[in-house]
Amino acid sequence: MTTAEFGTHNWGMVVDVDKCIGCNACVIACQAENNIPINTQDRVERARSISWIRVERYWEGDFPDAKARFIPIMCQHCENAPCEPVCPVYATYHNSEGMNVQVYNRCVGTRYCANGCPYIVRFFNYWEPVWPESLRNHLNPDVTVRSRGIMEKCSFCVHRIRRESRNARSAGVEIADGAVQTACSSACPTSALNFGNFNDPESKVSKMKEDKRHYTLLDQFGTDPNVIYLAKIDADKKVGAGEAATHG
Amino acid sequence: MKLNRREFLALTGKTAVGAVIFAACGLPERELIVQSPVDLPEDLVRGEDAWYATSMGDFSNGDGVLVRVMEGRAKKIEGNPDHPVTRGKATARYDAVLQLLYHPDRISSPQLRYSKAGNLVNASWDQAEARFTEALKNADGALTVVTNPLRGHLGSVASKFAAQYNGKHMAFDPVEQGVLHGAVKSVLGQDQLPTFDISNAQTVLSFGADWLGTWGSPTQFGVKYGEFREQSDRGYMIHAEPRMSLTAAAADLWLAPVPGTEGHLALGIASVIIDEGLVSASNVAAFEAAIPGGVRNVTLSDVAARTGVDADRIKKAAEHFAEHTPSVAFGGGSAGAHTNGSFNLGAIYALNILVGAVDSKGGITSNPGSAIDDVPASATGASFEAWEQEIANWRAGNVETVIIRGADIVHGMPNSVAIREALENVPNVIAFGAIHDDTMDFADLILPEETFLESWGTEIPEPGPGYQVVGTQQPVVGPTISRDESGLISDARGFGDTLLAMSDGSYGRDMESLVRGALSELHSTGRGSVSASSSSLFTNGALQRGGWWDTKNSGSSSVGKVATSAQSANYSETGSLGEGNDFHLVPFLSNSLLDGRLAAAPWAQQTPDPISSASWSTWGEINSIQADELGIKEGDVLLIRSTSGEIEVLAYPHPGVRPGVIGIPMGQGHRRSGRYAEERGSNVLSILVDEKDSETGALAWAATRVKVQRAGKRVKVPKFEGNVEARPIEPGVPVLVVGIGETASDVQTDNHHLYQEQFLGEGKESGDHE
Repeated sequence: MTTAEFGTHNWGMVVDVDKCIGCNACVIACQAENNIPINTQDRVERARSISWIRVERYWEGDFPDAKARFIPIMCQHCENAPCEPVCPVYATYHNSEGMNVQVYNRCVGTRYCANGCPYIVRFFNYWEPVWPESLRNHLNPDVTVRSRGIMEKCSFCVHRIRRESRNARSAGVEIADGAVQTACSSACPTSALNFGNFNDPESKVSKMKEDKRHYTLLDQFGTDPNVIYLAKIDADKKVGAGEAATHG
Repeated sequence: MKLNRREFLALTGKTAVGAVIFAACGLPERELIVQSPVDLPEDLVRGEDAWYATSMGDFSNGDGVLVRVMEGRAKKIEGNPDHPVTRGKATARYDAVLQLLYHPDRISSPQLRYSKAGNLVNASWDQAEARFTEALKNADGALTVVTNPLRGHLGSVASKFAAQYNGKHMAFDPVEQGVLHGAVKSVLGQDQLPTFDISNAQTVLSFGADWLGTWGSPTQFGVKYGEFREQSDRGYMIHAEPRMSLTAAAADLWLAPVPGTEGHLALGIASVIIDEGLVSASNVAAFEAAIPGGVRNVTLSDVAARTGVDADRIKKAAEHFAEHTPSVAFGGGSAGAHTNGSFNLGAIYALNILVGAVDSKGGITSNPGSAIDDVPASATGASFEAWEQEIANWRAGNVETVIIRGADIVHGMPNSVAIREALENVPNVIAFGAIHDDTMDFADLILPEETFLESWGTEIPEPGPGYQVVGTQQPVVGPTISRDESGLISDARGFGDTLLAMSDGSYGRDMESLVRGALSELHSTGRGSVSASSSSLFTNGALQRGGWWDTKNSGSSSVGKVATSAQSANYSETGSLGEGNDFHLVPFLSNSLLDGRLAAAPWAQQTPDPISSASWSTWGEINSIQADELGIKEGDVLLIRSTSGEIEVLAYPHPGVRPGVIGIPMGQGHRRSGRYAEERGSNVLSILVDEKDSETGALAWAATRVKVQRAGKRVKVPKFEGNVEARPIEPGVPVLVVGIGETASDVQTDNHHLYQEQFLGEGKESGDHE
């Protein structure tokens, strides 16, 4: 569970896996928001596609009892992030708001961080990002287009946080719960993805993370993520019987 | 100032000590900022953005959206939180539309073909209008306007324009909803598609309709699904479909009937409910009145044998449906796309009568008619039977002019109708569109069309939320100048505006004035979500919110009868399914490309399919055990042969398909459609046979039998699966699953042995490894 409280905000996400339908609305919303290059067929085939958030699908059982289980995975913004100490140029560090931040113009592309990340959510730009000229019209001016040779990953839509912080400061008010939404949580039709401030005990995410279904991914590594998952419910599962899914 | 070496070293040392002391007093993060004064670009928010509310007609069923615009460019499309259908949420398709707006292959100007065999040449709008006028000269009584199913003012204008020339307005939808509309009308007496109170239901029972992915109003249903799962007594969902769709994957209980037997499955469920006395006698009487003959001749064992679904599963579904109420049942998609489609859907919707779910909380909710006179609130494609007759007319040279927009009929029609030859016999084919599609290869005049982001209109969502809604559509961006400033990306005009300009002016001057007039009419009713002292303030208010809705104006049902004559046309020859290479073809709408209307957008192409995770291609989903028996491996190129033609797909075996069924996504196989879609994958629609629903004449698009053969080559399936190493997220399990009332911690403890087995070997403990 998250522990950091040294800033005003401790941004985090709660993913209710029971509500995730695997529709990929989050994936495309993230692509559009963060100027992620087009994952061409060639890049998909070479396992070089970039997807700051992905929906993994696992099969469980055989026909007619087969079940497909979905789980969205993005940077877990760990409090004890394995990616941070290995970076020789401090391109990735933990900020005071609970986020694991990537500074593109410091990154020299050693890829040590990607090797260290157990969640495989860091992506290296093997090529210069290219869009046909007219498609550049939809690029988001709030987000840097990353060049060849550097790492990138989910930023918790930090630019949205900054924009809302500025608006709140101008208005002389605190950022209201729910006022900042990442592109993925905003798109998610079933509200499986929820974003907010863990330092506010009254926030929706703070209450959700107290659910008895809460857990963190790869808890045994002690990374202390800022992304909390609520387990999938199987209404027909016999309580007390462990289940395993196999990845397809 | 000059420094000698000694002074430089002293100064440097003091600065370093100072920096360390300073840093020790602050946050670690500050230390980094001292070292590098460069802020993250994301820390510097540039420019002001504007969010405009509008409605998305062509790529959804009328979803209300917000578009983020900066410096005149559309940047993002999100759900409109005010809109009663989308409630601020989205699908994977919303943002892809931006790439049609700014597509590098967008048609830049009108194009003319001077002879049927000639090439297209660029033309001015003046030349195009002259050609359009010429085409209308002899079109009286011989004009057909072809569109996608259109509601709102665009539908009204298209129909009135056709009527002005004594012609026809025909809507084309490759996955016809006519059977669904017919069943809803006959069973529930409703003209509009109903909506379903999923949020308040305890049990949802659906058949064939991928309502969380592509069917009906997925954003609306997705929001409701979230609420359904959030109830204190978590809802239970049952879904019947031969192939595991996104919706089937979300279900608590998946039933995989033999394709075409969904109506019998519904009757089997009804017979269990009646036999076990789970509902009141009055409900049974009402149900039997709706299904002539009721379920007197239906036995559970017969239904199990016919549908291929275990009797125990049918019983479980029936008991849940009747005992955990409120319940709602609905169907569509492949369940209605058979020769007995009307019977299937009729029987499915009649289940609501049995459990008293009609017009009740947590049940099926009717939608009222249009709030604006002469503006359709409901639309469906013309039946395949009607299309066959129409195309025969084209082929015979009886139609002078065909105007087409929003419908790539050359891509969407089965080979059996020979649409290409028919279009060649029409003297004037006028096609509107943003990107050159397969139909435009046969057009004599191509007119660049504005997208919904650039034009005016109204949109009435279908299915609505249970009360009257009029969504507004407004231009959120103007014509876009190319980045090299050589001209406009597209000199496009709106379809409605162009028709009105070519009309006699009796039904409007332009779309903007029609929209403003309609809003003024709504203002005069004095009801609904916007109240204002003047018509202009009302109009601004409606445009700002993305429309107008009146929560007090709902519809009502009048229970009727299922058209049971279709029962005799039930799907036959199911006994041989799954034997050898004889398969039942179940086409399905792609989650990102739909029927192909989004194929031009690279984001839509790259989106992994939720089930197969494949992208950029066409694949065939077959049962993994059956694939093993047939020696079919993933990536094998399969020849899929029907009596209408043959296509190639890549094999993708998985456990979520009924043996004997092959599921193939629609959306690919375009000859045109821009650089990202051309000559990519295969078009499954082309090989459908011309079977029809016996009641409505709709294309039975899920009733095609095919032969499946390996072509003798294997390629890599472009898929996301395997791109990332699958690691056990929890000891032994990638996705942690708990039972009702169980904690994650309990299950982690229970699963620990799986971790031991997986990583250390069976029977070993962590201390044992060498």
